[in-house]
This record gives sequence, structure tokens and C-alpha cells, in this order.
Amino acid sequence: MTDSCDTTGRCITCGDEGVPMRVVTLTIDGAVCVDHAGARHEGIAVDLVEPVAPGDQVLVHAGVAIA
Amino acid sequence: MKFVDEFRNAELGQVMAGEILASLEPGRHYKVMEVCGGHTHSIYKYGIDDLLPENVELVHGPGCPVCVIPMGRVDDGIAIAAQDGVIFTCFGDMMRVPGSTYTLLDAKAQGADVRMVYSPLDALRIARENPDREVVFFAIGFETTAPSTALTLKRAKAEGVTNFSAVCNHVTIVPPLRALLESPDLRLDGFIGPGHVCTVVGARPFQFIPVDYRRPVVISGFEPLDILQSVLMIMRQLREGRCEVENQYTRVVPPEGNLKALEVMAEVFELRPHFEWRGLGFISNSALRLSEAYADFDAERRFAVPGVRVADPKACQCGEVLKGVIKPWQCKVFGTACTPEHAIGTCMVSPEGACAAYYNFGRYAREREAV
Repeated sequence: MTDSCDTTGRCITCGDEGVPMRVVTLTIDGAVCVDHAGARHEGIAVDLVEPVAPGDQVLVHAGVAIA
Repeated sequence: MKFVDEFRNAELGQVMAGEILASLEPGRHYKVMEVCGGHTHSIYKYGIDDLLPENVELVHGPGCPVCVIPMGRVDDGIAIAAQDGVIFTCFGDMMRVPGSTYTLLDAKAQGADVRMVYSPLDALRIARENPDREVVFFAIGFETTAPSTALTLKRAKAEGVTNFSAVCNHVTIVPPLRALLESPDLRLDGFIGPGHVCTVVGARPFQFIPVDYRRPVVISGFEPLDILQSVLMIMRQLREGRCEVENQYTRVVPPEGNLKALEVMAEVFELRPHFEWRGLGFISNSALRLSEAYADFDAERRFAVPGVRVADPKACQCGEVLKGVIKPWQCKVFGTACTPEHAIGTCMVSPEGACAAYYNFGRYAREREAV
């Protein structure tokens, strides 16, 4: 995952950061998604926004899709 | 990518700034509070406060869940991290927050196994991969983050993981807002509401602001045009004599919030009767702890911690900055004794705190103006 506050000075909790991502595929460990910059994220939990399908946009915070 | 680029269009930004100016009452000074650190960051990064008319002032509220953790609780975390066999996991933001003497990063340098994770799910994975070690997750954040901790603990319980526990420092947004609104020295005209907290809790929890305190609230997204549109919506409410909760962030925020997330939180957490907030003091029903059903996963029960209350330094004026009574640069120790590298108070501790954001982004514009 790329939203590290060490490298960018961002703080995901203080920044209340929600990263928009597109679902690429669903696996047993969670969804594989890509973000606006094209970076790939694995293991995104989609339990709270089910049902999701590849192509859907989700909002991810701390590895969990909240919308 | 859809829903990102369109909301950063500079020309539209200028148009909106013009519409905001047109909506203002001549000669009136407006103070609008944005609660979220993410909004503070966007405002400074995109120069939104420069774009706004001079008589519209943005005040930065207590939206920093890292900054408000009292030093005593950081000490408790460090005490757990220092114990033999413990793998202590936390978000990156926590690593540099000072306790009374050390930070978690210092503890790591002294040999504690402190690991940065991007998600509590990563911490659970570490527990599965290290069955002979105790893995502890230091949970922080508002209602945006609490569901991820809750989901992780639910999974841990379902899988029968026994070497995983959490120190819960989750806080809720409504009580500190109410505390601010009750403060006699505060004068605010409206609120920019926290878009991602509302994704979880919906719009209803903020009804008390127009109902009890007669101030408009607009729930806002985080791109620059979102924030500008939200300011415009607040100004229009004021002009038209309306006072309600409006949702600018409709592309993300459902009015009822995320019911599954709320259910998971209700199962795993309960409200603490009171909790101390750095800079704001003790606030009732403002924080979460693990419920009885999840007592086995509560690190505060599993480990012995000092539990000592550490007072903030006397020089610290964070409480006044958080209430918008003074600006960062008006604090006596801003930029001198209190800097991001050596922070005295909560507003400087995190990059999203009002003082740190101003120190990193806003200072230069002010110096240019002075010259």
C-alpha cells in the first residue's frame, strides 16, 4: 500500500484519508484494487461494502473499504 | 480517474471563489470551522484559504485523533511494547508522538519490536505468522478507522487467534464538537463536516449542530472543489436564513452511513464513560473501548500498564488553537520551543495538526505578505 505517512508526511488517521480505488479482482484474502496513481493494493477487506464486483469503485481507509 | 481529476479543476475553483464572494453580506466577517485533518491538509496544499475572500476565515478544529491522545496513554503503549516477546504494531503516525519521555520510535531504537502497519489487518496477519509472540495493535482514529479495527477483531475471534490484542484509543467526533460549541469564547458561523467519518456514521449525528446551536453544517469531500463548494453552501444557508445539515459529498456519503460498519462497531466496542483529550480535557462518552464480548482481545486487560496521567506543559496553548480562539502563529511557543521536530503540544504533533500544517505550508505565504 502506498499511503505511508513516513514518506509523504501524511497521516492516514488525522488526514481521515479515504483513497478511491477501483476493484480489479476478488480473492479469498480480499480485493485487489488500483488507485488513482495506478498503484496496486492487495488484501483490501470488502466485508463492509458487499456485494462488490470487478470494476466497482470503493473508498478505502486503513485497508478496509468503507464505501 | 473518475471523481478525482474533475474536483481539482483550477478554473472552476476561481469561478466558485467568485460565487462565494457574491454570496457574502458586505462588512461581515465569517468564521467557518473544518473539523478534519484531511480538510486542513487540502486547504493548505491547494491554497484554498488564499482563494477565499478575506472576510471568510477558516478555523481548524480538533480533527486529529493522533494529536489528542494524552501523553500518559502513549507511555502505556510504550510500556507494552517494551515487554518481552511483544510485537507492537501501530500506524506510522503514532511512531513519533512523544509520551512523557520517549516516542515509540525511540522504544524501537532501544530494542522493542515496534512495527508500522497500514491496516489492523496487517497486524492480525503478523499474529498468525508469529504464533509464539504476543502481537498488540495500538488502535487510533475516529469513526472512519474504528470499523477496520472492529472488523479485524471480529476476524481474530472467528479464527480463534489467541495471541492478538488491541489497545483501543478510538475517539468519536461529536462530543469534542459539542464541547467546543459550549465554550464561551468560541464564535463560529458554520462547520465543514468530516466527509469520511460521515461515510460511516451518516449525516444524522450532526443534526445537533443546527438544532441545538443554530449553525449550518455541510458535509464535505476532500478535493479542493469539494471544499469550495461546501463553503459556498454554508454561505448560502446563512444568507437565506437556513440552518441545516447538507451533504456536499453525495458521491460517497450515504445519509444513513454504512450500516454494516456501524453493526460491527456496536458488536466490538462500547463507549468509555469519559476520556482525556490533549488540549481539550476530559470529555464524556467520547471514546471507545472493547466490549465484554471482546475482553480477551483487550491489551489493557492483558498487560500491566502504568496508567499515569501526564499533564501537558504549561506553555502549551493548544486548547485555544483547537477552539479557533487563536491562530497557530499567535501561540507563544509556536516555531520556537514548539516545532514539528520538537513538538510540545498536540497541534504540532501530527502533520495534520493545525500548527504543523501551518508551519509546513502556510508560513511562507504569510512572510511574503508581510514583505
